[in-house]
Amino acid sequence: MRLNVFRKGFNYSQDGPGNRLVYHLQGCNMRCAWCSNPEGVAMKGTLMVNPEHLIESVCPHGAIVHKDIDRERCVRCTTMECINQNRNQSIRFSSLACDVETIVSEAKRSVRLFYDGGGVTLSGGEVTVQFEEVALLLQRLKDEGIHTAIETNGTHSKLQDLFPVIDYLIIDFKHHDDRALRAAAGMGNRLIKRNVAKAFASHKHLLIRIPLIGQVNDSAADAQHFASFFRQFDTTQARFEFLAYHEYGKDKWAQCGMPYRIANGFVSEQTLALFHTVFKANQLEVIRT
Amino acid sequence: MDLHSIYSNEEIGHLAKARFLEERRLKRLDGWFLAKEIRRECDGKFQDLPPVIKAAETMREILARLPISISEQAIFAGTQDDAFARSYALINPTFEVNSFTGYCDPTAVFGDIEPNEIFTKERIDSLRDYEKSLPFTQTLNTAYALAGSSTEEAVFFIEQVTGHLIPDFKPALARGIAGLIEEIDGKLRTNPEPSKRACYEAMKIALAATVSLADRYAGCARELQDAACGKRKAALVLLEKTLRRVPQYPARNLYEAIQSFLLLWQVMCLEQAPNPFAFSAGNADRIFEPYRAMTDSSRDSSAALFKHFLTFFNVGDRSWAISQNVMVGGKSLSGSDLTNPSSYALLDAYFEMNLPQPILSAKLHRNTPSALYEELGRFFFSPGVLTPSLFNDDSLFDVLARPGVDANDLENYSIAGCQEPLIMGKDNGNTTNSWLNLAKILELTLHRGTSAISGKTLGLDAPALGMKTNQSAELLFNIRDAFYTHVEHFVDTMVAAANEASRAIGLLPVPLLSSFMGGIETGVDLRDCQEQGTKYNGSGCLIHGLSIMADSFIAIDQFLKERAGESERLLNALKTNFKHDEALRQYLRSCPKFGNNIESVDLEARAVAQRINGLIAGKRNYLGNPFRPDWSTPSTHLLYGHWVGATPDGREAGEMLGYGLDPLYGEAQSGLGFRVLSGAHLPYKDMNGGYASHFGINPSHFRGKTLAEKGLEFQRKVVAPLFSRGPDGEPGPFYLYVNVTTPETLRQVLANPKQHAPSGIYIMRIHGTFVNFLDLSPEIQQDIIKRLDLESTSPA
Repeated sequence: MRLNVFRKGFNYSQDGPGNRLVYHLQGCNMRCAWCSNPEGVAMKGTLMVNPEHLIESVCPHGAIVHKDIDRERCVRCTTMECINQNRNQSIRFSSLACDVETIVSEAKRSVRLFYDGGGVTLSGGEVTVQFEEVALLLQRLKDEGIHTAIETNGTHSKLQDLFPVIDYLIIDFKHHDDRALRAAAGMGNRLIKRNVAKAFASHKHLLIRIPLIGQVNDSAADAQHFASFFRQFDTTQARFEFLAYHEYGKDKWAQCGMPYRIANGFVSEQTLALFHTVFKANQLEVIRT
Repeated sequence: MDLHSIYSNEEIGHLAKARFLEERRLKRLDGWFLAKEIRRECDGKFQDLPPVIKAAETMREILARLPISISEQAIFAGTQDDAFARSYALINPTFEVNSFTGYCDPTAVFGDIEPNEIFTKERIDSLRDYEKSLPFTQTLNTAYALAGSSTEEAVFFIEQVTGHLIPDFKPALARGIAGLIEEIDGKLRTNPEPSKRACYEAMKIALAATVSLADRYAGCARELQDAACGKRKAALVLLEKTLRRVPQYPARNLYEAIQSFLLLWQVMCLEQAPNPFAFSAGNADRIFEPYRAMTDSSRDSSAALFKHFLTFFNVGDRSWAISQNVMVGGKSLSGSDLTNPSSYALLDAYFEMNLPQPILSAKLHRNTPSALYEELGRFFFSPGVLTPSLFNDDSLFDVLARPGVDANDLENYSIAGCQEPLIMGKDNGNTTNSWLNLAKILELTLHRGTSAISGKTLGLDAPALGMKTNQSAELLFNIRDAFYTHVEHFVDTMVAAANEASRAIGLLPVPLLSSFMGGIETGVDLRDCQEQGTKYNGSGCLIHGLSIMADSFIAIDQFLKERAGESERLLNALKTNFKHDEALRQYLRSCPKFGNNIESVDLEARAVAQRINGLIAGKRNYLGNPFRPDWSTPSTHLLYGHWVGATPDGREAGEMLGYGLDPLYGEAQSGLGFRVLSGAHLPYKDMNGGYASHFGINPSHFRGKTLAEKGLEFQRKVVAPLFSRGPDGEPGPFYLYVNVTTPETLRQVLANPKQHAPSGIYIMRIHGTFVNFLDLSPEIQQDIIKRLDLESTSPA
């Protein structure tokens, strides 16, 4: 069984405890304008182009002219010589199919690097888009005694089925309001809320992440609404984290040939402090990874 | 009376710093020249004596006649200044890569002494001409004649090895030279072999001459007392008294032990002057701990004395005596930790002095105490402060045991120079005897023996490489076989030439050093080419270009898979350095590269290393012992790369090669974790000659609140993952040096040295040795900045 992966690498403590081997899985069912991994959104993968070394001869079909690529031609292209034959540092396809056992083997070789309680994290894209493959991989990792974590947007109806093979669960909870989330990310939050509720009830190591995006979910009222939703549950096993808007992935939008649509999503220190204050007042433990 | 009843620890420390500053003002090093002039006289005077006795008598003359002095800041007598010239290329500000010709010509050193009224041009020329006529030089010329044209473009180099050993002074400290002479007398009473008797007589003469040198220094101290007063006078009285005792008799405290050690070191270096680089002290903590313990000297008091011990190793204005290694820590055969109070006192001295020499190495293992890592934190995370090399005992014991080192000797391995492991006092490894450039051989293979740099024919043609046609595709499809055939060809020549160079140096016996290298046991000079004088013997081969080879083979594989019809194009592009084919260079650059945890290329690197390890270890040196594969490239990755044309990995002509076992600069972009995983595939178990590897590490990745916490964090995040065992329990990596800084920081240091290094000293590591970053030639400074390669070691 194979998984489509668009990036992998180690990360310390930001995607679960300790040092972790993080696999970013291709494909996402949301369309967040602030996404820092736009190359991971399309299910089939994305052609990433950096004009620096782009040479016209890379494409025999004439799609590259003066370091610019005509993606309309790429859509129709079936041979893709640019990545199969005329390789170039400036052009690559995001998605790579990886066998589950290959990943398990790589994880086993990496045990030496799982210090401070580390292990493997599956992130995205959205991991549950490849649900069956992910379930198998997590089980295999558990079989090998490797600590597992996933970061999910919480939209999969069977997410709870994965809980037994997830040691550390990260759910991105992007908005408290169904319509607002639908407007911002193309999906509502009904399933997310249901999954979060199940996670509060049955997962012992839960981190709820809230990306704070200016003009989207960063008002004082938003802070209260988020907190109001969470405080109805027993959150003693859960932690919360705010991820302030950043533009680390902005260049990649251009590389993917997609316009970056957020004019100014930054949030102030005061806003962050306000969210901290509101959550603390509601006995919600906020951490920073 | 002891020194601490005269001076406080602070005063002793201040004296050490003042002594170092005094040394840095020294712009001329003429002692080696005087020593050589005395040798010339002695060549005539003692011409009828057996060579080994002639060598000893010559030492006696040199030690009796060389001018000596004791600095006002010194608390010990002795100097290395007379053994070194201002030669070492990489710390010479005028050094340029394209001017490098190796360290081969024994008379080149005469170009390193500037004529003046005393050392006139005529005087220098006269001695140079004489040296050219010596049998040693003549034999060495024969060695280079054997090498033929191969050294012209750095296919390989050979050299006669001086220095690069680890003497065992412990018996001399414990029993005194008198004790050693007594032992030799015992050997003489029972050993009738003339050659051995001559060797023993020579050792006695050389050892006794060392005592005479101590007496001369004692006399010097006595004379200085007349003009001195107060504390200085008392210190000189103590010094005189000490010099009347050691090294002749056993040391009774740390002060006497250090004094004894320094005089032995001085004479050992003089015996091989000029420029016996990379003599190393071994585990100084274990050597000195018994003497520290005799008086229960405190950590501070011991550190104060060690500051002068360290200062001694710095020669002249740029610390010209490079690669002298001092070790701390390590484990016993049973696995228990061997750090001791002297380990920590030495670290204190190192940190506070922060000198360019001697270099510091820490032996680590699974039971290394946290306290040691806490102490190391301040070294790693203080800008401009020296950082220790790290050795992994858990792996190295296995690596050394495989070719036959006795179990009881393992804990006494030490490092000669930068990273070559030898058994202290027992192992003549000839570590830098030969140097092999795999990337150049690949280039010559791809062009069927013709250099892409000069157009000269330096290697084998197509038939000799096993090709039936001149077809490019045939060559590329068979590139591995052709390459290894070519390597065999060059290695055979290299080995013959290297062994001849060893025979040349064998004409210059070293009786004093031999007495600390097992010679008292064997009665054989350590350089003897007929009979083995040391328990262990081998010859080194420094192998260059691992990552280029792996990346190139994989790129060729992929090229043939995807573009087999364009083989001619590839060879033409390489020949012309991609001048008209940037598209193809881009293609090659985008192929998988070693260091990114990509199995195909990582396993190719393993295969290349295995094949070359086996090939080198299968060659025999002048005594019939195996050559030792050593994958270190002490800045020669830069020098050799200059002579290598474009390679199939997309590297352009003249660009540097990869450093040691490391990925080519800029090619590992996937962070520390993947780099460690890639490196874990390599066959360290067969690298008994050593290897080099460097991590440039961004300090911002460490979160500890204190330096001690960061030291522990360094252990968890870098040391422990790296030094893990390999697949199937194979020995894992056993060496690393680091520079914890950023390119931006170093550029700021260069732009404003007074702000960042007010003392004029900003210590960096360059291959295995410390250097003052500000002393380096601009090209080497830029190499260091470039090779930090932080993308390859980022945590994500």
